Amino acid sequence: MKYRQVTLAIIPGLMLLLSTKGRAQESPLYTRWENFTTANGMPDDKVFQAAVDGERVWVGTENGLVLIEKGKIRKVYNTEDGLANRVVAGVAVDPASGDVWLATFGGLSRFSGGEFRNYKNFTSGLANDIVYAVAVQGEFVWAATTAGISRMNTRTGEWSIFSEKNAPLHEPWCYGIAVTDKKVYFAVWGGGLLEYDIAGGWWKPYNDPDGELEIVLFQNQGLLHDIVSNVGYNPDTNIIWASTYFGLSGYDGHNWHNYLSTDSALASDFINAVQSRGDEVWACTDKGLSYLNFKTGEWITYRPAQGGNGGDIVITTLDKKVEHRQSSTTLAHNYVLNLAFQGDDIWVATAKGLSHGMREPNPQSIKEGNRNEHKPASR
Amino acid sequence: MSTTIPTRVLQTATVMIAAVLICSAAKAGQRSSDDASRTESGYLTPVEAKLSVDGTRLYVVCEDADALLVVDVRTKKVVGRVAVGHKPKDVAQSPSGQKLYVSNEWSDSVTEIDAKTLKVIRTIPAGWGPVGLTTDRSGKTLYVANSIGNDVSVIELATGSEKKRLASWRSPHHVLLSREGKYVFVSNMLGHLGPWDQAPVSELTIIDADKQIIGQRLQIPGVIALRHIAQGPSAEGDDLVIPFMRPKNLNPLIQVANGWILTHGMLVLHPSSEAQGGYEISQVLLDDIDEYYAGANGVTFTPDGSRILVTASEANIVSVIDTAKLERRIKAVPREELPNRLDSAATFLEKRLETGANPTAVAVSRQSDRAYVVNRLDDSLTVIDLTRERVEGRIDLGGPKEESTLRKGEKLFYSAKFCFQRQFACVTCHPDNHIDGVSWNLETPDLGKDRVANRTLRGISETAPYKWSGHNPDLETQCGPRIAKFLFHSEGFNQEQLADLIAFIKSIPLPPNRHLAADGQLTLSQERGKKVFFQKNCDNCHPPATHYTALRSFDVGTANRYDTSGMFDVPQLDRIYEKPPYLHNGEALTLEEIWTVFNNEDKHGVTSDMTKEQLNDLIEFLKAL
Repeated sequence: MKYRQVTLAIIPGLMLLLSTKGRAQESPLYTRWENFTTANGMPDDKVFQAAVDGERVWVGTENGLVLIEKGKIRKVYNTEDGLANRVVAGVAVDPASGDVWLATFGGLSRFSGGEFRNYKNFTSGLANDIVYAVAVQGEFVWAATTAGISRMNTRTGEWSIFSEKNAPLHEPWCYGIAVTDKKVYFAVWGGGLLEYDIAGGWWKPYNDPDGELEIVLFQNQGLLHDIVSNVGYNPDTNIIWASTYFGLSGYDGHNWHNYLSTDSALASDFINAVQSRGDEVWACTDKGLSYLNFKTGEWITYRPAQGGNGGDIVITTLDKKVEHRQSSTTLAHNYVLNLAFQGDDIWVATAKGLSHGMREPNPQSIKEGNRNEHKPASR
Repeated sequence: MSTTIPTRVLQTATVMIAAVLICSAAKAGQRSSDDASRTESGYLTPVEAKLSVDGTRLYVVCEDADALLVVDVRTKKVVGRVAVGHKPKDVAQSPSGQKLYVSNEWSDSVTEIDAKTLKVIRTIPAGWGPVGLTTDRSGKTLYVANSIGNDVSVIELATGSEKKRLASWRSPHHVLLSREGKYVFVSNMLGHLGPWDQAPVSELTIIDADKQIIGQRLQIPGVIALRHIAQGPSAEGDDLVIPFMRPKNLNPLIQVANGWILTHGMLVLHPSSEAQGGYEISQVLLDDIDEYYAGANGVTFTPDGSRILVTASEANIVSVIDTAKLERRIKAVPREELPNRLDSAATFLEKRLETGANPTAVAVSRQSDRAYVVNRLDDSLTVIDLTRERVEGRIDLGGPKEESTLRKGEKLFYSAKFCFQRQFACVTCHPDNHIDGVSWNLETPDLGKDRVANRTLRGISETAPYKWSGHNPDLETQCGPRIAKFLFHSEGFNQEQLADLIAFIKSIPLPPNRHLAADGQLTLSQERGKKVFFQKNCDNCHPPATHYTALRSFDVGTANRYDTSGMFDVPQLDRIYEKPPYLHNGEALTLEEIWTVFNNEDKHGVTSDMTKEQLNDLIEFLKAL
């Protein structure tokens, strides 16, 4: 197959690798990037989301689903293969069955044993065919659509719709879903962050306390803004993170932790998605990928260097010391849409390709092992 | 002097009466699902048999007796009986043979039995309609195919708890663990829900037993009714064989007179790293050119791999196949030709041996010297001497000696001998007394017109008239001369036989409703759907008192260019969730499509103003009926 043509050579010895001397607390640095674009087999450069299943990475693009295995593009699936729609906005792997669920702009697709089965507004109980996100929680599959939240019980086939009619959604338009053992969280466009308690069946909305003002009256008072683009749950800290187009918010059950580009080293307040594990919080912004070490307060932002020659890495310590470094390889684009973890590696969806970020081995990373194997704590 | 009753009062009263009727119908459904008369009839109705690990005993599953029988192979006597759940269908053994697991289709459970003491150890909950089952090689995990849930329960035996359910396809049936233990194969009785005017496609679901996930779905075009699965010995290439039925449902049934409308055979799957999907798949017919062997069902290899035995459950025959000759035939004929070659069987067949009525399963001794055929409607086993390839004797399992009317009727229902060249029986198109999931081009005055979906026979005794056209006022008309002329193309049943057959069909019960809570209480969604049902006047054509059918025909705007009339009999709605596809021709693949796709003129209820939430609720209510 011709897919395998990595755009940027990986020659660790030649890379301008960075010493971590002078940094009080070592955060992992991603200095090696391997990019997948239309130039080397991707069906489209716009990548919405990647989902990791062991050595497999399932990638949703604007023109089909891509399977990457052991770092190589194995197959591209599109509507002629049975996919509901070419635009794959969200991907989720059911760890129990191995089935891959796909949020597309033509309904929900289930990829199981090499075959697609589709659930559409006309053929099932799905609220709307524009599906932005999908998540699997036990026997339930949740879908975020433009007409609200749909839930399918895969055992009984029962569909439920949650919208402004029966749940505290100011708007039915949902962008993101994060699941835990006991809760499901939703990013509601213009409606804030929404929490669903699975056992109790009740909803709890989190909204911007100052309404829709695009300023923050009091720091850490609550959710930064009601336009929530995505949610990410950290199973290690039990913090739910909400990306908004006006900053980053995290809620630990008692306190809010808010970050703006004006009072932190966050690359931009326009954040498309957030993912978190351990002490790591990753904000996918329109000006690069920002990493926050929640424990040390250190920020690291990755973005392509201006002029297209390698990448800029900006390290900002808690005491505001800023260090600029360069890497020979970098993200495919600074407009970052989402991120997925694969052990120590990260897979970054950008507007111009998929980026596989690899960090240099160091004692800490070896000690921590594969974080994907962490057992999530119950919230 | 007349009294005017306000409309609102009438409407309220109607809803209340309907609600009472719904409750009554629900309870009646539960009663009929108990199927007490069958269990108390004394018939055993064996459906499955497995040899014990040490080869000394046969475990025989008896679906009407709710029992597992133990037969001593040496003495040929029943030496044990264990009461299990309702409608048991299959038995599996732990690798050591110390424990037995019996699937109970109508109890949604598995009975675990101590093989030595024959005591029930525990009852393990499974999914909806458990049928085929197997343990893994370690004996730690049990895989159970759920025929109604359309999935496979993966049960952790240490705790007796279900770890997960894996989606199969439609009506999963039998389950086989591959010899090396890497895969679990699941056959599906019904084909995919697909375009109604296309040939069916079936699936063999393959589970990766190490990861316990769906590994592969093999698509098998042109066939349905995949039943038992058998794997040949490694020396023979680990081939899989699976009996099937191959319907030519797109051809007018006038073709029955020329043969070849329904053919019966088996898949042969040869592992090959070069083949797409990892298997070279051949479809081999087991029929002869002028005589058919309907109901291919039970199958097994002899342990030495030299022969394959396949039961024709509607012809009362077991076919003995020479494996080497079969292999030669497969190599000699192009794979695309093979599915339609009626001259194949003669090239590899060694013998056709007569069995008792409705042979559903077959087991072979480890020495390859004896085969035991399960005769479902004879309450017996046929013993075959494989050395001489002849029937050696019969093991009586102990059922009643006199045939009841119902049993006579059931035998007729399961017998292909009334059809021209024995091409099919009633049950061929109504497996498990239900549907085959495909649409048929019946013989009508306008050939090629009026294609109709198969309809269930479960719980139909009070739903006359019959056929989608509603032209048959009773079952006597439906099953009498008309079937003889238009379907069987033969003399059909005589009056006495017809009476027995109809008595049996009328006795076919509804299965339990899995969408209705045990106490009959509706869920919130079902309650909301119930309101929609009556607000939309669905009960005008689907009144609760008569199984949700008005017992007459209406035009609901579903006719298409193939239909000569727009008037169709209103189907009963009992257990509607078990009957996709929907509408007269099977055009609607899901309940949703009835209204979202095929009700553009609002003739099938005024539904265009329904919200999606209301539609979802309505469907949840319908599934509770």
